Amino acid sequence: MGAIEHPPIFRLPGVPDHVLYTWIVMAILIGVSWMATRRVALVPRGVQNFVEVVLEQFIQMIDDVIGREGRRYLPFIGTLGLFILVCNLMGLVPGLMSPTGNLMTNGACAIIVFCAYHYIGVKKQGLVHYLKHFMGPVPALAPLMIPIEVISHLARPLSLTLRLFGNMTGGHILLAVIFFLMGLDGLIGWALSGSTAGTIVGGLGGLVMIVFTVGFLYPLKILVSFLQAFIFVMLTMLYIAGAMEGAEHDEHHAEPHTAHH
Amino acid sequence: MRSLILAAAAVLVPAVALAAEAPAAAGGSMVGPYSVLAAGFAMAIAAGLCGLGQGRAVASAVEAMARQPGAAARIQTAMIIGLALIESLAIYVLVVAMILLFVQPIK
Repeated sequence: MGAIEHPPIFRLPGVPDHVLYTWIVMAILIGVSWMATRRVALVPRGVQNFVEVVLEQFIQMIDDVIGREGRRYLPFIGTLGLFILVCNLMGLVPGLMSPTGNLMTNGACAIIVFCAYHYIGVKKQGLVHYLKHFMGPVPALAPLMIPIEVISHLARPLSLTLRLFGNMTGGHILLAVIFFLMGLDGLIGWALSGSTAGTIVGGLGGLVMIVFTVGFLYPLKILVSFLQAFIFVMLTMLYIAGAMEGAEHDEHHAEPHTAHH
Repeated sequence: MRSLILAAAAVLVPAVALAAEAPAAAGGSMVGPYSVLAAGFAMAIAAGLCGLGQGRAVASAVEAMARQPGAAARIQTAMIIGLALIESLAIYVLVVAMILLFVQPIK
């Protein structure tokens, strides 16, 4: 790993890399938001138009998954989604790193989601009522259901973290190996070294790998960046919907009583 | 099938003997080289089974979209989510393989 490791270009002495690049992502997002809201017009043009399109997609997804009352969580979900998206995309630029390729950033986002959906559930249903849903459909099964539910709830932030980390770091390692194979230490260096075999094989091989990287790997990495941000946001919305939906069971329970009376 | 098993045994037995000698002579434990083997096999099995699972998911999704083209957008959304969740299982195996290869907890 030592031969193919390449630390990012911009580094600050006392600050970890992923924190520095998180600040860069924050600066980008705040800059775009400021540019979009400088002169807010009823008929949007320019950057405001673009940002409104993005937010409409978020609102549609929230309406599909959580329902109308989920719109109050749009700031949380939108910030999380856009942050993870820009973090993922920053890793594609050679020379920068993506903060989501580091376990700490992903762990922070996952812990925030974990605390958020439990807080939303408790605020909507009350603590005792929310905890009663951990006991399963039939109260007699409680000793079996509670450990299963607890473990599955604890596995959620772990899976969110590892899914995002594995996708980003796996792509990063793949790109590092390909650059090492075709770069100045590999095929292209062999092509430039002057020997005839090097020029032919190294040149052809280097060309093939450059076309492969630019034409296939980079679009794949862009797709994976968007997809993983979408999956993170979709799972967050599903967890919030699951935490909020318990109240509906009781509304259905209340109906037969009023119908009989 | 028998020749395949014989060939695999003929390759693996001397490899095991050679691998066992090297770290014991260097002073490490005897587990080190096997972790690389484990990482390779684990990733291969995970990728294969993930391919099977995702193939079934896409096949059902495409058949459902052909049966009811009006619901194609919602089926596609569900398919993308399902594919990402199945793939995340193979990603967990990738993370374990990376730990074995790069962090090398047992040399």
